[in-house]
Amino acid sequence: MLAINLFNGLVYGALLIVMCSGLALIYGLRRVVNFAHGSLYMLGAYLGYSIASHSNFWVALVAAPALMAVFGILLDRYGFRLLQDRDPLSVVLVTFGLLLIIEDFVQTVWGKSNLSVAAPELLNTSVEIFGTQLPAYRIGVIAVGAMVALGLSLWLRFSKIGLFVRAASTDPTTTAMQGVNTDVLSAGVVGLGCALAGLAGVVAAPFLSLSPSMSADVIIDSFVVVVIGGLGSLIGAFIAAMALGMVQALGAVYIPDFAAVLPFVIMVFILIWKPSGLAGSRT
Amino acid sequence: MTSSISRIGLNTVAALAIGGVVAATVTSNTALSLLTQAIIYAVFASGVGLLLRQNGMASFGHALFFGGSGYAMGMILQAKAMPAEAALLFTLAAIAVLAFLVGLVIVRVPGVAFGMLTLAIGQMFFLTASKARGITGGADGMNIDWPSTLFGVPISAILKPASMFLLCWVAMVVVMGLLALLLRSRFGSITEAVRDNEERARFIGIRTLVPRAAIYALSATVTGVAGLLSALNTSFVSPENLHWSLSGVALMMVVVGGYKALWGPAIGAVVYFLAKDILGDYANHWMAIFGVALITVIVFSPTGIAGALKRLFLGKKKPAMQSAAPATAHSTEVFQ
Repeated sequence: MLAINLFNGLVYGALLIVMCSGLALIYGLRRVVNFAHGSLYMLGAYLGYSIASHSNFWVALVAAPALMAVFGILLDRYGFRLLQDRDPLSVVLVTFGLLLIIEDFVQTVWGKSNLSVAAPELLNTSVEIFGTQLPAYRIGVIAVGAMVALGLSLWLRFSKIGLFVRAASTDPTTTAMQGVNTDVLSAGVVGLGCALAGLAGVVAAPFLSLSPSMSADVIIDSFVVVVIGGLGSLIGAFIAAMALGMVQALGAVYIPDFAAVLPFVIMVFILIWKPSGLAGSRT
Repeated sequence: MTSSISRIGLNTVAALAIGGVVAATVTSNTALSLLTQAIIYAVFASGVGLLLRQNGMASFGHALFFGGSGYAMGMILQAKAMPAEAALLFTLAAIAVLAFLVGLVIVRVPGVAFGMLTLAIGQMFFLTASKARGITGGADGMNIDWPSTLFGVPISAILKPASMFLLCWVAMVVVMGLLALLLRSRFGSITEAVRDNEERARFIGIRTLVPRAAIYALSATVTGVAGLLSALNTSFVSPENLHWSLSGVALMMVVVGGYKALWGPAIGAVVYFLAKDILGDYANHWMAIFGVALITVIVFSPTGIAGALKRLFLGKKKPAMQSAAPATAHSTEVFQ
């Protein structure tokens, strides 16, 4: 019993990692807290639903994030770039407006009823680990989370573009002066962030049902994660995502009445102790 | 100073008169109840706007105080713990005290993280209220059993559309008048100094945490007033009243109306309700429509409707008004 709960905590934590690394990347380069990130996740999931029903899940897994990446590049080019001199708060409210538009769009196109996506056949089985039957699809979700975490870390740490991204998120002006085209870089990173939101949506679709409320649930958990982890810190987000996944899963079993509140209580205590979050140094 | 105080007094009396005229001339009950709702949300938005105006902080969780005051009232009346009149005052006092204590912690969180934090705290109470069936009625909400008379007036008379509208209007005008007075006081200048440059304020000997928390508490209390009016208007409270989308809508009213003027958020609320009503059939798509409106206002008119109106009517007075404002050389003006 405990093993299954821990496992489900890992699965949800992995999903949050994919979500929050997108949020953290966008914040890192554009200093924008994207309130529409949950809606992008939802849009990704619904796009994935439509694509999967016309072809198959694997096509959706690639195509939906790719569409979201295009959306993100446009969002950066015609939104964030034009607003970069404004107060961060006004940009937050623009993303809030975007959230409303996307929610309305999704409800208009796909309706308000719950939809579901079948897990791909290849993963529609279960695997026995330590004497417990675990659904293969969920193991796949953990693998996606791990790959995203590892891939992003290695990319940021060892590639040339990763170096530029790290430089630009610390000091965009100096980075631009040294010949890095920070506008293109930002568009790419926002595109990547949105693609990750879409990927999280497609990945979540087979084990969480698609509904108009799916964005609100996940964005609030994601905010808890990035606030606990420290805004813009990938490592902080990874740790906090895993911790929150565990807390959600275990709390739901052992203290069901109190479980929904637990993440927020933890967050409040962490912020009292460290207002900038676990791994956050800048404001 | 005296002239500005007498101007506030004059404006208050004029505003009260306008409310009386509206209540007397509008006979359609549908129109009155729509206006009543708009006024209740005008008070709500004023609370959110106050926080943005005086502290430069956007709360995404003020529905907590809107729904919270209704729940508090409902529970106190259900338990018959005290008379309804005392319960109203107790609820507001409790909100003020609790918000001040919470404020001492959360106003230290910088910038946008504050917004996310308020969102999370608000949602925590939304989830609690939805789950705790035994106390709050869960997702079904709870009825509020008002006594037969309130402050000596029969409740049936209060609940008539015209008197309900008038009550809400008077509450709004009184709240605005009190806020205008308070913000012209030393406390108002201190909070503006802290908002514009916290470090500088600290250098000149102002303790910055307490004024910020006090503004947070004040804005929560104003929102609580709106929650109580709503609880009176509908005799009902549900988790919807705590949901974060409601906080977002209130913030939207603030931005669209323009938060730099004290009455801007109220304008935003009224425009929101009238627009929603006029849109009628298209109202299914109100989210997209208001999303577009929100983005348009932020991009093209950062001071909102109030700013546009001021430019239109008070264009020439602008320099004089600016000189009366505190030095803005170092101000980190929001939305500019």
